[in-house]
Amino acid sequence: MKISRKIAGALALSAAAAVVLAGCTSRNTDTGSSAAPGATDGASAEDLTIAFVPKLQGIPYFEAMNTGGQQAAEELGFEWLYQGPTTADAAAQADIVRSFIQQGVDVLFVAPNDPNSMAPLLEEAQAAGIHVATTDTDAPDSVREVFVSQASVEGIGQQLTDSLLEAMGGSGKYAIVSCGETAANLNAWIEVQEAYTASEYPDAEIVDIVYAGEDQAMATQMATDLMNSHPDLTGLVGECTSSAPGVAQAVQDAGRIGEVFTVGLGTPQSMLPYLESGASSASILWDVEGLGYLTGWAGVQLATDGDLGDTSSLSNEALSEVEYDEATGVLLLGPPTVFTAENAGDYDY
Amino acid sequence: MTTATEARAPQAVSMRRILPPIVTGQEVVLLVVLAVLWVLLGIFTPAFLTPGSIGPLLVQVAPIALIGVGMTFVIITAGIDVSVAGMIMVSAVVTARVLVSYDVPAIVAVALAIVIGAALGALNGILIAYGRVHPIIITFGTANVFTWLGLRVFDSSTVNGIPSTLEFFGRGAAGSTLGVPHSFAIAVLAVAVAWWFLRYAKSGRNLYAIGGNQNAARLAGIKVQPRLVWVYLITGALAGLAACMIIATGTSTLDQSVGSGKELQVIAAVVIGGTSILGGRGSVVGTLLGAILVQTVVSGVTQLGWPTQLGFLFVGIFILIAVGTDIIRERARRARA
Repeated sequence: MKISRKIAGALALSAAAAVVLAGCTSRNTDTGSSAAPGATDGASAEDLTIAFVPKLQGIPYFEAMNTGGQQAAEELGFEWLYQGPTTADAAAQADIVRSFIQQGVDVLFVAPNDPNSMAPLLEEAQAAGIHVATTDTDAPDSVREVFVSQASVEGIGQQLTDSLLEAMGGSGKYAIVSCGETAANLNAWIEVQEAYTASEYPDAEIVDIVYAGEDQAMATQMATDLMNSHPDLTGLVGECTSSAPGVAQAVQDAGRIGEVFTVGLGTPQSMLPYLESGASSASILWDVEGLGYLTGWAGVQLATDGDLGDTSSLSNEALSEVEYDEATGVLLLGPPTVFTAENAGDYDY
Repeated sequence: MTTATEARAPQAVSMRRILPPIVTGQEVVLLVVLAVLWVLLGIFTPAFLTPGSIGPLLVQVAPIALIGVGMTFVIITAGIDVSVAGMIMVSAVVTARVLVSYDVPAIVAVALAIVIGAALGALNGILIAYGRVHPIIITFGTANVFTWLGLRVFDSSTVNGIPSTLEFFGRGAAGSTLGVPHSFAIAVLAVAVAWWFLRYAKSGRNLYAIGGNQNAARLAGIKVQPRLVWVYLITGALAGLAACMIIATGTSTLDQSVGSGKELQVIAAVVIGGTSILGGRGSVVGTLLGAILVQTVVSGVTQLGWPTQLGFLFVGIFILIAVGTDIIRERARRARA
């Protein structure tokens, strides 16, 4: 008994140490490469601290946003802080938001896992004199000053449909492999796809919508099952970054490249092999690093009372189609980007 | 003592009497349920019973059944291993990185994955056998440590451009011979060896004794601690091999969700297969059937065009029925004794 208690104690200690160490190291890597405060050329942005809390840290999507934010920090001269939870968990995210409120950052950006539970925290941050804003995912009923949006719901849904139907020849049956069954943004895109397909492509039909979670292998298996149960299926959509390569892999494994066409919302690096083999016809996403850059830029405007509508100071080429809608407080990155075999190799995420 | 001396003379006879029947009731029930499901799905879907559908289904089953062999051993000893997902993650990410960076042959990658899994499993086994803390606590702890380790290796990005070195285990044409997927054949082979081991090998029978009553087993002269270390080590090694299958059936990109939730899928297969969560009873054949049943339900729901969420309902009901039957049987046995 004595021995076991000792070992249990040692285990608990080492587990605690591991957690603490993990926290430290990731924090270091995240802020390590951001620009040192003071090394600036824009006097207005000097000494500004802009923090971004992603839904989830460590996935390529948000890491690419972080890269864009760091780039903005270097060019515009502010301090960029980036930290998120290791699982897409609203409570863990709230803890990180609280710690940034305590640190007294100047601007706080959040991509909320749960917009409703994030709203009171944003209010708390604002009361502490912090400019609060959302990026990537909005918290519509909150005090956020601006939402930096990657693309409009219509833009994504229509581009997905257009790209798929172009490959399918404008008609045929297709199915959607989505991910989280309750993911609001995915469901909103699917709604647009359904309506747009019905109105623009009367000879096309969505025969099924299935949900694979964030599991690539599950998405592949479900796509295989769909191809089997609908022998006349000629199209598949992978609705998120894990199911987009998943459905393409299923078509490749079944040896049906050229018979079944796929499109999806995949990161260019993960889609490149499938775009090259023809298993995927197009990947629809947006310039994620551009979104991160725009987030940083918007933070500077908020903190310096700048004009969000005046995008002339944005020299970044990827941000030439930025639009600001003052009524809704939405800063839109622009239309979605279509990645193909030709351009997907140019992106390193 | 008296029974031991009595049993010595007619050993062959008593051995036969002690061994359970070749096929147990639960396995028959599972076989019947599976047969009925497959026939029904064959009737109501256009293509369920075609090679293009069954092949990928069996490939998807393979890693679960394979780890299920180790997990059956573990649960027979009245233990549990919830660190399987973490072991898969570490093995998979290291192997994938090595495949991308060094272009090693398949055999090296497989060996590497198995060694990593075995090392992590051995760590579990040593802590459990010599620490004498309940396995769920130990493996829950190591699961978190393994996940941390895996995330460190991922280093905040996905592993991109994984070559098709491991296509031998995959879903594609290179992954099967005469229509039989290699990965599934390996899982069946592992089940066959484990079935023989649990039934006829002395150290295999010992596992049941350990699960039935660990103190009694120790007093009977069974080396409980080394046996436990081996059981967890084997589970880890099989998780490493399964990680290779998961890489092969995945896309050319590996992300941090790899392995996630697999521990519960494996435990579900073992429990549905009739292995008692209380320890002391169980069969690897049941585990294989349980794994096939779970995937049949999930694929069946998709192929029938039913809402995906129903898959969870059906698997949940199967688990509750299996555990319920086990508990009722246990009570009946106690009442008899």
